[in-house]
Amino acid sequence: MSEQGNEPMRELRKGCLEEQARAREVRLTIDNVPVAVAAGSTLLEAAQHAGVHVPTLCYLKERSAVASCRMCVVEVEGEQHPLPACATVARDGMRVVTHSEKLNAYRKLTLELIVSSKGAALASLACDTSADANACTSELSRLCHELEVEEPLEFAQVKEIPLVEGNPFLAYDPNLCIECQRCVGACNSAARNHSLQTRMRGSHVLIDAPFGQNWRETECESCGNCAQACPTGALSLRKRGRRALAEPEGRAGESAHTVRTTCPHCGVGCQLELEVRNGRIVSSKGAFGASNRGLLCVKGRSASFDFVSSPDRLTTPLVRNKETGELESSTWDEALRLVASRFSHLRDEYGGRSIAAFACSRSTNEDVYLFQKMARVALQTNNVDSCARV
Amino acid sequence: MGFLSQLSIAPRSAADAPLHSTVARFVRRVEAMPPGVCPVVAHASLLHAGAAQSCGKCVPCRDGLPRLAAKVDSIAACSSDENSLAECRQLAEMIRDTSDCAIGYEAATAFLDGLSQFAEEFESHVKLKSCEAGIGQSVPCETMCPAHVNAPGYIALVAEGRYAEAVNMVRKDNPFPTACAFVCEHPCEERCRRMLIDAPVNIRGIKRFAVDQAPADTVPAAPRGVDTARTVAVIGGGPSGLTCAYFLALMGHRVTVFEARRQLGGMMRYGIPAYRFPRERLDEDIRGILESGTITIRCEEKIDALRMREIADTYNAVYVAIGAQKGKTLAIPGADAQGVMSAVELLGAIGDEEYPDFTGKDVVVVGGGNVAMDCARTAVRAGAKTVSVAYRRRKEDMTALASEVEAAVAEGVEMMVLQAPDSIEVDEAGHCRALVCQPQYIGPVKRGRPSPVAADKPPLRIPADVILIAVGQDIDAAPFEECSMSTTWGRFDATDDLHALGGPPNVFVGGDCQTGPATVIRAIAAGKVAARNIDEYLGYHHVLACDVEAPPAHSNDRTPYGRVELVERLARERRSDFDDVELGMSFEEVRQECGRCLRCDCFGAGTTEGGRQQYE
Amino acid sequence: MTNSIDDIVNDADVIMLVGSNPEEAHPVIGMRIRQAVERGCRLIVVDPRKIGLAAKADIHLRVRPGTNVAFANGMVNLLISLGLADASFVRERTEGFGIMQAQVEEFTPDYVARVCGIAVQDLVAAAKMYGTAERAAILYCLGVTEHTTGTDGVMALSNIAMVTGNLGKPGAGMNPLRGQNNVQGACDMGAGPDDYPGYQKVTNPAARKKFEQAWGVPLPEWSGTKATECFPAMLAGEIKGLYLFGEDPVRTDPDTHHVLRSLEALDFFVVQDLFLTETAKLADVVLPGRCYAEKEGTFTNTERRVQRVRKAVDGPEGSRLDTQVFTEVMNRMGYAQPELSAAELMDEIASLTPTYAGIHHARLDGEAYDRGLQWPCLDDGHPGTPVLHISSFSGSVGAFSTPDYIRSAELPDEEYPFVLMTGRVLYQYNACAMTGRTEETSEIEGSSFIEINTHDAGALGIEDGQRVQVTSRRGSVETTARVSDKTNPGETWMPFHFQDGNANWLTHAALDRVSKAPEYKVCAIKIAPK
Repeated sequence: MSEQGNEPMRELRKGCLEEQARAREVRLTIDNVPVAVAAGSTLLEAAQHAGVHVPTLCYLKERSAVASCRMCVVEVEGEQHPLPACATVARDGMRVVTHSEKLNAYRKLTLELIVSSKGAALASLACDTSADANACTSELSRLCHELEVEEPLEFAQVKEIPLVEGNPFLAYDPNLCIECQRCVGACNSAARNHSLQTRMRGSHVLIDAPFGQNWRETECESCGNCAQACPTGALSLRKRGRRALAEPEGRAGESAHTVRTTCPHCGVGCQLELEVRNGRIVSSKGAFGASNRGLLCVKGRSASFDFVSSPDRLTTPLVRNKETGELESSTWDEALRLVASRFSHLRDEYGGRSIAAFACSRSTNEDVYLFQKMARVALQTNNVDSCARV
Repeated sequence: MGFLSQLSIAPRSAADAPLHSTVARFVRRVEAMPPGVCPVVAHASLLHAGAAQSCGKCVPCRDGLPRLAAKVDSIAACSSDENSLAECRQLAEMIRDTSDCAIGYEAATAFLDGLSQFAEEFESHVKLKSCEAGIGQSVPCETMCPAHVNAPGYIALVAEGRYAEAVNMVRKDNPFPTACAFVCEHPCEERCRRMLIDAPVNIRGIKRFAVDQAPADTVPAAPRGVDTARTVAVIGGGPSGLTCAYFLALMGHRVTVFEARRQLGGMMRYGIPAYRFPRERLDEDIRGILESGTITIRCEEKIDALRMREIADTYNAVYVAIGAQKGKTLAIPGADAQGVMSAVELLGAIGDEEYPDFTGKDVVVVGGGNVAMDCARTAVRAGAKTVSVAYRRRKEDMTALASEVEAAVAEGVEMMVLQAPDSIEVDEAGHCRALVCQPQYIGPVKRGRPSPVAADKPPLRIPADVILIAVGQDIDAAPFEECSMSTTWGRFDATDDLHALGGPPNVFVGGDCQTGPATVIRAIAAGKVAARNIDEYLGYHHVLACDVEAPPAHSNDRTPYGRVELVERLARERRSDFDDVELGMSFEEVRQECGRCLRCDCFGAGTTEGGRQQYE
Repeated sequence: MTNSIDDIVNDADVIMLVGSNPEEAHPVIGMRIRQAVERGCRLIVVDPRKIGLAAKADIHLRVRPGTNVAFANGMVNLLISLGLADASFVRERTEGFGIMQAQVEEFTPDYVARVCGIAVQDLVAAAKMYGTAERAAILYCLGVTEHTTGTDGVMALSNIAMVTGNLGKPGAGMNPLRGQNNVQGACDMGAGPDDYPGYQKVTNPAARKKFEQAWGVPLPEWSGTKATECFPAMLAGEIKGLYLFGEDPVRTDPDTHHVLRSLEALDFFVVQDLFLTETAKLADVVLPGRCYAEKEGTFTNTERRVQRVRKAVDGPEGSRLDTQVFTEVMNRMGYAQPELSAAELMDEIASLTPTYAGIHHARLDGEAYDRGLQWPCLDDGHPGTPVLHISSFSGSVGAFSTPDYIRSAELPDEEYPFVLMTGRVLYQYNACAMTGRTEETSEIEGSSFIEINTHDAGALGIEDGQRVQVTSRRGSVETTARVSDKTNPGETWMPFHFQDGNANWLTHAALDRVSKAPEYKVCAIKIAPK
């Protein structure tokens, strides 16, 4: 069938699709702002679409919408009681109110319950700042700042629970855990590792993190997606803690910042956020790239930056001493002169066929491009290859 | 090949099956909630139970309920300040409105309801730092009995074979031991502590055994008091009037009972069919009462306004206990057709031995109460070809005792539920031909009961030669209203001590005519209270002697037993006569049943100050 | 990959995973395959080992190492005979069906089952599951390619996809999981002896003319030698100089003795790397480079998705940007190469490479920040291509190939009775140059081991955790035994990460005749307890 003959058919199909798309759209108002969202969208997504901020805590995009924290409750006209925006599907004609005196009071009261649900450690972590939202160290404390929740006087339980540690990368501090289950969502709905579960039942629920002394017997892959999901730091990357401690902020007058990049290990192309303090990378976090959708593996999260600042990095060119047979430090000029002259000699004496150039499958496209260009234009050889086969 | 998941028939939690018995225990413990428990404490424990059920997911339930329970604990302990009520309300409203599932929001809703329902109790805890004064736990059966009959006492006497003394122990508070042995709805069993172990003691069954062994008219009445020469008129010879007459006579007062019908007994004779309460057994109680002192009976005297004024002028005091004698009617087309009659008419006629003959007829009874069942079962015995009960709610919504419904079904009565009478089809001769009903479905709960809603279904035609309307009774208060006695919704108004409002100052009123149609035992209780208060009104303070004492208690038998239930005669036999349907316990049954009594009069709160509900 | 991770995970009805252990080697794809399985996608695992995903698979075909071609031909034969071929797809979009059909006829289920060591009913079940699916994706990895018959294996698998029309639609396709982060990009960028960037052939005069014009110098006309073939050429003295950029063949290439001898034979050997690797220790000149966190640039992932690499930190003092070094070498060798930024280099790439023509850093930093750009990306307005071959193949029709089953180059015999396979573990990457410098990874998985079947270990008197000596015709290493049923009897497996007992002392440098990839997955060994 020719492309031409298909044209009317294609137009027709396109029209149908557009109509379907419109039919699959629902229209509602959020705080009197009219919005149209794809059918199946939640009220939270609709609010985000409308540019309305609704506080959330346990919600984690594509991971967890168990609606446990009730921060995102909104009022919907005609409903008997408020509904969690993260878990309520938008319907046509809904009139949603996201902020009211009652809702604000409920949110604050609920957050106060969360903050005081453990001991003083959680409370002081949650309410670690009174002035500056940017200074908040955790997502929980940012929310406390937003909802003006102050450090509570009474706690549900003051007895300290021992840390769960053993796994070299990850640790769990139950005293900071608010049981929001984001980690459970990260492990079970995203990484699908199913090694992190809830333990005990009911009001005594705890997260069963597989990082204890028996960590080797668990199915845990140490991917750390749970720790990335944690809003309090109850689940933490032990290395990040140590590194951040070693690199207090502002030491070199440079504040912490993150850099979005691509993981250097396998071919999946996971997107990373590298956290940099004082010129050193202290942690790596999964970003929401198309290939990884926020996920990382143990290598991307925990083994993608130590080598960068490894003390055994080469810092100077080395040239083999003809007499001793040893590699010795040299200047760049000396090394490059040697490289240029020896290769020029081989090229001119034996032709380009006598030289081979192997590129690196781990370096950037730009590096490889220039490397093969160098081989072809300067070394005059097509004996170019990479480690693609090995 | 691998399997994604291997299924097993075993429950996920191995504890769920054994937990079932724990849940059953939990239910029994809650049902056995002792009367007198502080409502604040009860609500705290309800919240704790709610918190225990939390799955742990959402914060309002998981963290909120334990927090709320702790706050209410603190209120119960009178260690909270006045702000705590507002804080609790705020927290509970948040939990109610934001919990993810019913475990959370219902717990909060229940608490908020309690906060309104028991507002004074809550206030008293935070302001006065005290529970409501004078309230504490007491013996459950005795407390729950409106007449506060000493049940543990007479059970112990029955256990020792002292049946006559048992009858007298009942009569100390209730001159109708036989009536209550046959037809009492036994509220005494509702919170029976035995439920904690297995099931409530069958108290009525034990009483039945006692009156079967020692008929009430064979047991000498308690010694009567010295004649006071005071006269009291009792209007109405039913359970309330006769009880009042009994106690007043024992005190030495001179009582005259005015009864409109031919015989005494009221609804016990003219409402309850003989197969449930044989007439000769009713007469035993009445004979026992009439022997108590100076009681003059004037039957077939209907009191009009003029007569009432005379009586009030003539007698030192009057007790009006005329009951609820007027059958309610249905406001539907054809309701006045021949063949349509009220339950009161039918059962009243039977009371005077005028049995109807429904041979070959289709009978439809409208209503779902005990009276409807009485009509239906009577119709069966009157030879009806078919008997149906049309009721607009479901079977489980019927106000009749479940055992009555079951008995009626066993006797061949068809329950046509979710059928609201719409019209009565009448033939040319003006006689009813069928009841036409509009089918219903059960809808939302209103005032505590699920309400019926008209269903989108075609009407149902139930052929009927006789239609019996049993949808409740009204009080014929008109003559008394003419004497200025005040009424609300057709019921007489009275103070707590049953002093009638409006009308002559020496008139007391009680029983169905004051409360609306209720039970025999509540009518008896009213008569007893009225007698005491009339005595006081007349300037006396008689103390009635009771020469029976409860035997000392044995230690509790903690072995769980089944509860002995009274059995009925075979349906196919009993449906053709008006003889007693129920069979009493055997000697070994009653001995075991008495042995189950935990003697709450001797253990627990029963021996504490205020732990009994007894008049001296 | 012809398709993208997203559409396979979300849309495939069946995933057939051949010679790939993504839970260890591509962990995030492993996670996403688990997502797909939990969504309800059926999973067929074709792998000699009981890999983690086999436990989640509907069917696990534990084919003998090196029998992929037989398996795939058997599948195609079954698909045709069961009537599961997509006749209209075959008619409209392919050629060579008849010849191929005649070729695979001899691969009867009984024959294939015998060769592969699997049950006939499992093979039939797999064919039915794959063939009846609306959308079936084949994912494969080095378990297919690292054989002397690797290219044949890939072609045979392609026949499965083509005969059922599982190409050019979401949730389907032929999807190699590329090993290293930028192995796709390195190939795209012309790091191959036959290709200029974008697979433009060096032997094509028009292509050569285009690059000569762009680069301003005459270029060699001959096809180059593949890296794995260069080593014998070094021994033979044909190749005298080697510029090695960021590789460690001493650890990663097969038959380490052979590699060492080859490198020692060179006249002049330059290594540019981050560390003094085992290979760099043999170099005449070592040049310190910069790592991914110290430079701007792009990687192209296994889905052909070009994504940005951004500079987070400065490199160590004394090291230089690799492009600066190359520029310097070019200039000193007489080629006037201006110093260009990574973004400018990408612009040059785009101008010369049609499939990258629309790819620029500015787009990757802007509209395509989260999704990157999947080539072919033909111009600045082109959104990229998530699924290849939607309406036609690049060569207009897809050609069936006719690979025959040939046995692996070295099979077990009386002296060397076990097959050795090699591969990766989750906690390390290749030669551990990067991962090995994170001490925790080594705490979890830090030393060499060999997986031996319980039955074999019993016969040899070897217990789990015992030290053993493993020997092939090329070398011998000491390592630790892990005794389990993960491998079939007669088969063993070793990771190649660990220098304390590197499998590549044992592996066989027999090469695939087309791709010249070495047969890492099959060689013969013997094992002795220590």
